[in-house]
Amino acid sequence: MSLLDPVLDLFRGKAVTIPPMDGALRPNTALDDGEVVTAALAPDNLAMLNGAPIYSSHREIRRIGHDHAVLETCPADVSAIAVGDDGTLAIGLDDGSLKLGGSMIEGFNCITALALHGGKLYVTNGSDHFRPSQWVSDLMHRNSAGSLWEVDVTSGQRRKLAGGLAFANGIAVDAANQRLIVSESWRHRLSSVPTSGGGVTEVLGRLPAYPARIVARPGGFVLALFAPLNRLVEFVLQEPQYRADMMREIDSRYWIAPTLSPPDSFLEPLQNGGVRSMGVHKPWSPTRSYGLVATLDARLQPVASYHSRANGRFHGVTSAMAVDGAILAAAKGGNHIIRVQAGEGTS
Amino acid sequence: MQPVIEMRKMTKAYRGVPAVKDVDFTLMKGEVHALLGENGAGKSTLTKIMAGVVEATSGEMLHNGQKVAFANPHEALQNGIAMVFQETSLVPSMTVAQNIYLGEEKFLNRLRGIYIAAQQFLQSLNFSVDPTASVATLGAAKRQMVEIARAVHHRADVIIFDEPTATLTPEEKRHFFALMRRLKASGVSIVFITHALEEALSHADRISILRDGELIETGPAAEFDRNKVVRAMVGRALTGEIYNRRREAADLRKRGRQILSVRDVSMGSMVRNNSFSIFEGQITGIFGLVGSGRTETFKIVSGIYKRDFLRGGEIEFDGRPVRYNVPVGAVRDGIVYVTEDRKLEGFFETMSIAENFYSGPLAADLTRSSVVSFAEMREIAADWSKRLDVKAITDNARVVELSGGNQQKVVIGKGLAQRPKLVIFDEPTRGVDVGAIAEIHRFINQLADEGLAVVVISSYLPEVMNLSDRILVCRQGRVVEEISPVEATEEKIMFAAVH
Repeated sequence: MSLLDPVLDLFRGKAVTIPPMDGALRPNTALDDGEVVTAALAPDNLAMLNGAPIYSSHREIRRIGHDHAVLETCPADVSAIAVGDDGTLAIGLDDGSLKLGGSMIEGFNCITALALHGGKLYVTNGSDHFRPSQWVSDLMHRNSAGSLWEVDVTSGQRRKLAGGLAFANGIAVDAANQRLIVSESWRHRLSSVPTSGGGVTEVLGRLPAYPARIVARPGGFVLALFAPLNRLVEFVLQEPQYRADMMREIDSRYWIAPTLSPPDSFLEPLQNGGVRSMGVHKPWSPTRSYGLVATLDARLQPVASYHSRANGRFHGVTSAMAVDGAILAAAKGGNHIIRVQAGEGTS
Repeated sequence: MQPVIEMRKMTKAYRGVPAVKDVDFTLMKGEVHALLGENGAGKSTLTKIMAGVVEATSGEMLHNGQKVAFANPHEALQNGIAMVFQETSLVPSMTVAQNIYLGEEKFLNRLRGIYIAAQQFLQSLNFSVDPTASVATLGAAKRQMVEIARAVHHRADVIIFDEPTATLTPEEKRHFFALMRRLKASGVSIVFITHALEEALSHADRISILRDGELIETGPAAEFDRNKVVRAMVGRALTGEIYNRRREAADLRKRGRQILSVRDVSMGSMVRNNSFSIFEGQITGIFGLVGSGRTETFKIVSGIYKRDFLRGGEIEFDGRPVRYNVPVGAVRDGIVYVTEDRKLEGFFETMSIAENFYSGPLAADLTRSSVVSFAEMREIAADWSKRLDVKAITDNARVVELSGGNQQKVVIGKGLAQRPKLVIFDEPTRGVDVGAIAEIHRFINQLADEGLAVVVISSYLPEVMNLSDRILVCRQGRVVEEISPVEATEEKIMFAAVH
């Protein structure tokens, strides 16, 4: 790379490139081949409460089990949940309110992920301008208006640990290294922030999809990625005038933007493209939705992955976690919760 | 029946060291006689004596019962013996037709007439080569076709083919063997040197096997099978060791750090939005048909070709973006490309083995001093000759005097002397005998075991399947599929390469 290249890029156009899904991220059909735990309406955030998995779905928090009991119903859509070691439940809502145990904490706009650890609640505020359900708008405006906060569970006092994040959308506590791992969706990367606050350092960059929630597992982490990077979308993101016209004139459902699920509409001819060759249906890009879960080692390097490809059903995975040697994944776009044995993906 | 060619006690020595020793050889009329042996076994030398390219040290040769000793290839050709060389002997600046009719020019020549005649002649051989094209613009396969056409055109009654199929595609090979059958039916005798043992077993009438310059075995092809041929060639069975290794998940090396990330790299219509990653400590096998952009992609990575100026994609090597305009930058960063065309791009043929080895560290700026040190050169050459087991008649032999397998070892050694982080082998065993294949494979495996990132580009599926820890399949200028060797079958890889 010569010193001239940044200058030459002004004339030849900066390359818009998509990292390949290879190595540990090699595509497979593990999510589609996985066991369906339950059908659910837009299941979003998974967590463990008293040894049993729970999930959020619109305004409700439900337990996964034979009864799928509703544990709580909230006044607005639930945007994030977290459970502390003592069973304390923290709930973030789409309107920005945060409920911790019996008390409410104000001041957030876009709660996308929560983590409870050592008497602290860590909160990712995705954007200062949009609600969690308006994430597409935040992407199309190319905002970097996310932040990371620490809330004292006892006093309710909050402290900003980092700002300028490009849609902070997941958080995990790496207690051994006294740091927090934050997923920045619009920068397609995982960053680390010291628990004491301070600089943001990239720990895993150039992901081929938009990262969402991340949780710790024995020996590493589980990362959900909710939509794939797509050359067409990346191109649109380079064109401000086109984006402005698109946002002004076209229904947001038909924007050229990532989506959690294929909309099955003839108005969108590019979705679910594929060719049938020698009796085999081969999906091809561009697809705006995808299902992807990756397991990472302690150094945050991918070790295995589980996919639902362009022609699959379980797209838009926003949350995943390790339970009893298996991976539980909430496909918000696919309206199902899936269980995959840990060895069944690409490794 | 009287043989067309009979050689008795034929010996050829270079600087006192025999390359061929007391070989008796006969070629009957209308016979396809395969000559097999490891590189350096003496096959090429024996046939070069036959074709008048080199003079025998002792022994005699009879052509149709008459004792002959050709002083040059022209004399041999006049006597009806033509040789199609492994390295083509065409004139690059002339057209295909001019090359075919070279030496037969009249006082006044009409180019149009030559082109029409050449067109008809090439069509009769089923070779799709434009007679008006300059030879310099042709690829290796088409040059080989012109070379074959020239031999056939001279109406030789003995044609010697030295590795004729090494550069041909499967389709072209079919045409070649059909042509060979036609020649045989018209009474032409053929000597056929090949490293593809199956070709010898299925197309030859008789097989002769040389080892270390001596004739080991000769007999009807029906009496041979692959294992018998290999045993005679190398003195031990090797095929299982090279190609029949069963790959289990536990055998595969674990992925190390990502060393190379290629993202949406494009170069004209040859490489189109190609994206993939290469990891340390693994052998990544690259398979694709001719024209799938495999070689071109890695030539871009190593700075030999340039990617598109506008939106040519991105390459990240060792964590930083790179755009090499010339190979020296890549070499200094630790990228080594071991070329598929060793004769043209791999070595300095008139320089010694030591000088060739030393050119690697020189290019990578790794030499101890700023002036050439002969002591250092000898040290490096001795080290790499030993590690790669390069067999040469003398230590300061010129590379052109070495056999194909040993030349390939020199090319590999020259690259590895640069202490690379990423080694790209392009067709590492093309034109190399089975014994040397096993050695080169062992060496490639050793590099990956030592933690280097290794890429092996190969058109030979068993090689890709047996060497690789992961297989990337290319089609139409991009990687289209990644397949684990555990689940890979030849059908699966070929399906991905075609569809």
